Amino acid sequence: MNDFTLGDILLALLHGLQWTAILSLTAFVLGSLGGLIILALRLAHRPALVWLAKTFIEVFQGTPLLMQLFIVFFGLSLGGVEIPPWLAAALGLTLYTSAYLAEIWRGCVNAIPNTQWEGSAALALNRYQQMRHVILPQALRMAIAPTVGFLVQVVKGTSVASIIGFVELTKTGGMLANATFEPFLIYGLVAAGYFLLCYPLSLYSRHLERTLHVAR
Amino acid sequence: MSLVNITGLHKHYGPNHVLKGVDLTVRQGDVVTLIGRSGSGKSTLLRTINGLESFDQGSITLAGQTIGSRDAKALQQLRLQVGMVFQQFNLFPHLTVGENIMMSPRVVKGESPHILREEAHALLAKVGLADKFDAWPDQLSGGQQQRVAIARALAMKPQVLLCDEITSALDPELVNEVLAVVRQLAQEGMTLIMVTHEMRFARDVSNHVVFMHQGKIHEAGHPADLFSRPQTPELQNFVSAVM
Repeated sequence: MNDFTLGDILLALLHGLQWTAILSLTAFVLGSLGGLIILALRLAHRPALVWLAKTFIEVFQGTPLLMQLFIVFFGLSLGGVEIPPWLAAALGLTLYTSAYLAEIWRGCVNAIPNTQWEGSAALALNRYQQMRHVILPQALRMAIAPTVGFLVQVVKGTSVASIIGFVELTKTGGMLANATFEPFLIYGLVAAGYFLLCYPLSLYSRHLERTLHVAR
Repeated sequence: MSLVNITGLHKHYGPNHVLKGVDLTVRQGDVVTLIGRSGSGKSTLLRTINGLESFDQGSITLAGQTIGSRDAKALQQLRLQVGMVFQQFNLFPHLTVGENIMMSPRVVKGESPHILREEAHALLAKVGLADKFDAWPDQLSGGQQQRVAIARALAMKPQVLLCDEITSALDPELVNEVLAVVRQLAQEGMTLIMVTHEMRFARDVSNHVVFMHQGKIHEAGHPADLFSRPQTPELQNFVSAVM
């Protein structure tokens, strides 16, 4: 018995896909801001700030994203703060993205040779000016391709938000599969949905890697 | 009048005692060359003068001001007066030649872009690269890059210019074009402190040569005396090995 037409299914999945895209975008925009802040702490010349940033990065890189979402969602409600699943998912993914981006970007900053620091120091630039005018412009160029590459991980990572009840693509797929008894078709379409979001990003990342390598 | 005054300078790298009590006075307009074997401490000494290396004991004064404060503001003040040219040029690859020269005066001193542009063009003409304003560093030969680096250091109008083996990374046929620029600076009265392996150049251009050996100034004097009548066996060996 099956009351759903393929059109119904596609429409529902498209709706889920939209939320997956929104969640990815939110995580990425806020995660970039968070990543910049963590990066600044990580590169500071104050041991306490560096320790704080390191600990943050280690915790979020060393635990599964799913546990992070559980802790944000259930932990906050245990503490008396009731937040909707979408907010918990956005918050959890933002923290996760911040940690990874901070580490990716730190790698790019570290890849700038020490001679660039010395050259700019000898020209009387202070640390902020060195960062702003010499180090970051070069590191940024290096960072674009791996950053876009990481966005693909974030898009796929949003699927765990389904477990705390946020109705995005995977959750929509699960509900449809239960209702239609066509798991193979439905999950195939769900996978195709993620691919639709991720493949252009992968292509773009590869394109950037090629062009930015030559460009200055 | 003495511009740079170094007294009793000591520095350790962990267990290595790399500077063991160095005294050196540089007057305005002096061209001082530091020579010696690798590991003798000459580059380290040079780099303490603009605070790229710290030191453990002793004092350095520049135009009467004491150097050695580790605080960032004081270091910046010092570096406004001491320019440096490096072995590996250290140009900024993401900026054009013109931007390389103008960036620091604009960012640090807040000078107007209009005036800076004129000055940058003049400096490039001075080092023989008038047509390279819009070129990128990686389009230039090593000798050209090093001349841009000299122009970039001069754009800050330093009182002293430090040159750290500035021809060591160059192909032999490119060495002279860089040395010609330095020679011209010396003739114009620029105060220069150089570490170099170009002994002929040191003899021709400098008015004071310092031979460093095992972290100390072993022998120093006018190049004519020092090179033709070395007093110590260490300098005799060194001179006969390199000249």
